[in-house]
Amino acid sequence: MSMENASLAKRSRGLNFWSLVIFGGFAIVAIFLIYPLFDIFRYSFLDKETLKFSLSNWKAFLSKIYYLRAFWHSMYIAIMTTLFSAVFGIPLAFFTTRFRIRGTNLLNTLAVLALLSPTFIGAYSWITMLGRNGFLRLMFQAIGINLPEIYGPLGIILADSLQYYPFISLMTAGALMTIDRSLEEASENLGARSVRTFFSVTLPMVLPSVTGGALIVFMMSLSNFGTPMIIGGNYLVLPTLAYNLFTSEISEMPGMASTVSIVLILCASVVIVLQQWLSSRRKYASMLVNRPIVKQLKGLKSVLAHALCYFIVFFSTMPLAVIVYYSFRKTSGPVFKPGFSLESYRQIFFDIPKTVANSFLYSIVAVILIASIGTLLGFVIARRRNAAGRLLDPLLMIPYIVPGTVLGIGFIVAFNRPPLILAGTAWIIILTYFIRRLPYSVRSAASILKQIDPALEEAGINLGSPPGRTFRTVTLPLMQGGIISGAIMSWVTSMNELSASILLYVGGTMTLPIKIYLSVVDGYFGTASAMSTILFVVTGIAMFIVNKYFNRGSETFVGA
Amino acid sequence: MASIQIVGLEKHFGDVKALSDINLEIEKGEFFTLLGPSGCGKTTLLRTIAGFYHQDKGDIYIDGELINKVPAYQRNTGMVFQNYAVFPHMSVYDNVAYGLRVRKFTKEEILRKVSAALKSVHLEGYEQRTPDKLSGGQQQRVGLARAMAIQPRVLLFDEPLSNLDAKLRIEMREEIRAVQKSLGITSIYVTHDQEEALVISDRIAVMNQGVIQQIGAPWEIYSNPQNTFVAYFVGKINMLKMKLEEGAEGGMRRATLGSMSLRVPAEGTEGRREIIAAFRPEDVLEAGNDRGVNIMVGTLQTVSFMGSVARFELLDEGQEIVIDRHRPREVDMPPLGSKVSFAVHADSTLLFDPETGHRIGKGAKR
Repeated sequence: MSMENASLAKRSRGLNFWSLVIFGGFAIVAIFLIYPLFDIFRYSFLDKETLKFSLSNWKAFLSKIYYLRAFWHSMYIAIMTTLFSAVFGIPLAFFTTRFRIRGTNLLNTLAVLALLSPTFIGAYSWITMLGRNGFLRLMFQAIGINLPEIYGPLGIILADSLQYYPFISLMTAGALMTIDRSLEEASENLGARSVRTFFSVTLPMVLPSVTGGALIVFMMSLSNFGTPMIIGGNYLVLPTLAYNLFTSEISEMPGMASTVSIVLILCASVVIVLQQWLSSRRKYASMLVNRPIVKQLKGLKSVLAHALCYFIVFFSTMPLAVIVYYSFRKTSGPVFKPGFSLESYRQIFFDIPKTVANSFLYSIVAVILIASIGTLLGFVIARRRNAAGRLLDPLLMIPYIVPGTVLGIGFIVAFNRPPLILAGTAWIIILTYFIRRLPYSVRSAASILKQIDPALEEAGINLGSPPGRTFRTVTLPLMQGGIISGAIMSWVTSMNELSASILLYVGGTMTLPIKIYLSVVDGYFGTASAMSTILFVVTGIAMFIVNKYFNRGSETFVGA
Repeated sequence: MASIQIVGLEKHFGDVKALSDINLEIEKGEFFTLLGPSGCGKTTLLRTIAGFYHQDKGDIYIDGELINKVPAYQRNTGMVFQNYAVFPHMSVYDNVAYGLRVRKFTKEEILRKVSAALKSVHLEGYEQRTPDKLSGGQQQRVGLARAMAIQPRVLLFDEPLSNLDAKLRIEMREEIRAVQKSLGITSIYVTHDQEEALVISDRIAVMNQGVIQQIGAPWEIYSNPQNTFVAYFVGKINMLKMKLEEGAEGGMRRATLGSMSLRVPAEGTEGRREIIAAFRPEDVLEAGNDRGVNIMVGTLQTVSFMGSVARFELLDEGQEIVIDRHRPREVDMPPLGSKVSFAVHADSTLLFDPETGHRIGKGAKR
């Protein structure tokens, strides 16, 4: 508002710069989204033999039980994961916000740490506990209890829901903390008992947040590749099916993998449309005159409430603890020996320093791109509403509905041939990090800007500061915290990215998550654990920085 | 020479005409208020003077300099914002120093000017506070000090008190007035609060739908409104659309509405069959026997006791009429539903053209 009207002279110059940003935004969307996705789309309609337009892939998908089964598997896993996440998440949210639970911050931190760690590490840890020779299985066998088979749907649902439930618990807790106490008091004043008040006032008010979180869980579970790949066994879901088809089809035409990819995108689109529809409906944000009371429980009730909260969180963090423990165990090749050593770490730093360096290098380069370009595009979208900006806004959100596996397939298909050959380079991996994270960065920059009163910029201008100086001395310092904490989150997710990069790496562009995955497959649990521990530490440090220096609550991590 | 001159200013937002043919001259050191309902264009006019909007037509002069093409940051106007717009990432001191640093004053000069500005808004000792530790009133004082510190050619106030509570609003408006007078900075003040405008201003421009309705001193605006909008927007007024009877007697004509009858001055009513007669509640007298006074009767609907006066709402011929009883403690309150008679002096009756709403007769300009 302020700056575009600040002056005629500045207006034309400003317009040129911001036009360039908008043009750049369209270029990014066209080259790195539309082009690869259109390629996938095209391949799904090409006959393998004749290379002519044909519906044969789609006919195959809809008629063969092999493909359809993966679709139903995906739905089943996503629904069950969402359900269990709600079962863990809602009580945790309610107890930690309404009752005094000691160590609530610790609980939230641990939950988020589990949430942010690479998805497949949790799965692999459950294998070490409950797999064929898992130590928990052996322990239970010793006392005569046979635990159910962990490979397959049970393992996927277990690992997924224990990883993703914080989406529901944190979003619900956020809503519970911002309900005006007077509303519940009004209900009681009108004669409702507290149970009735909960179901007729409290629950309906937080329901939009619960369903919002649930849809995110559904989406994450639907597009998750690492967990079903590691713990799924022969139980194929859409992302693993696409991956298997693609890696076996690679010499031929990726017709079936493309078809499965399009199905995945369609599923994700339905979820996103649902989510948009839900969030566009009434939200009960209040002015928060009266914060809700946090009740002090007494005696047995307090013990039970604590037990429940700690059980949920520790159950979900246990896989991480197990991994850290194994990283310090003595090994000989794939075999664990009694006693402790730093052998696994030594191996990493001496045998694969390049992999470690790659992970840091790629993610840092990607974050610089994400933060700078995302902020500029966010500014364009928030402060310069014109036709081009309005068109760009939804286009930039496309990566939300493109699972990593699909993006990986698209990139390798599109950038393996002229005019733009990127296959085998570091850039193709950096660019997938960049594209996957860009919508979060744009959204967060735009939402930070929406919270900055345009009058502040006008005040700067009015006091004699030119638009450029005002942006530098007023707008940017106010955005800074949000930009940096967003960048750190982008860095963590990039460090932990597997589903797209596993399709794109070559020997020289190996990253930590890929190496962990390959080590797990080969049975080298020791080094896999040590590498995973490195990723946990990195994730933990990043979270600590965001919490400590940017004063953002745990909700940042799920809102992103 | 006038400090600010605005000539033929026009501004459109899409199809909406936000300002049409605005002409103003504001004297040096004057406290000038733009008063009107929301959407009347008062804030648009203020922001156009500040340079945040650019007019489609017309000229703005400050101290005789044409500033149409001067960008906002070079206009040297000090704006006080409705929502304070105090920089949240800077201390009180840095906020007030912001404009001075842009102007490249030395450290000593900045210190001196900031201290003086903070002193004049009674915020000495708050230099190192951050805005989140200040109340709304204190934040607005910082906003005022920050705008004053740069010694602007004109201070622009954009409804600066509307976010404060009632008591603080009254306190602050007196303070703003005192500071403005002591520094003698020309000021333009935007408000929708007519009481605030009457108290604080040297002159007021009443605006509606992008058009200036009337410009004048507060007492002039109140007692001599030039059209029905101004009469209605400033203060409380009764307006009756009445038929005029033929013929004048002693310079007076008789106006009627059903059984209601009122003698009004004949001046300016020549050739008219209809008129709007208006009178303010406080100009109503208790019914006596004096000649030249119109006695009217209404049924009492509600009584609002307001301390110094009691306001009666009467109903007659389907018309609601509001009258004030002065020193209400000393009279007996009539019961609701009873007939109350009252007198309106012909001299305190204002006449308007029912078609155009323009003032006619005695007191009409143009």
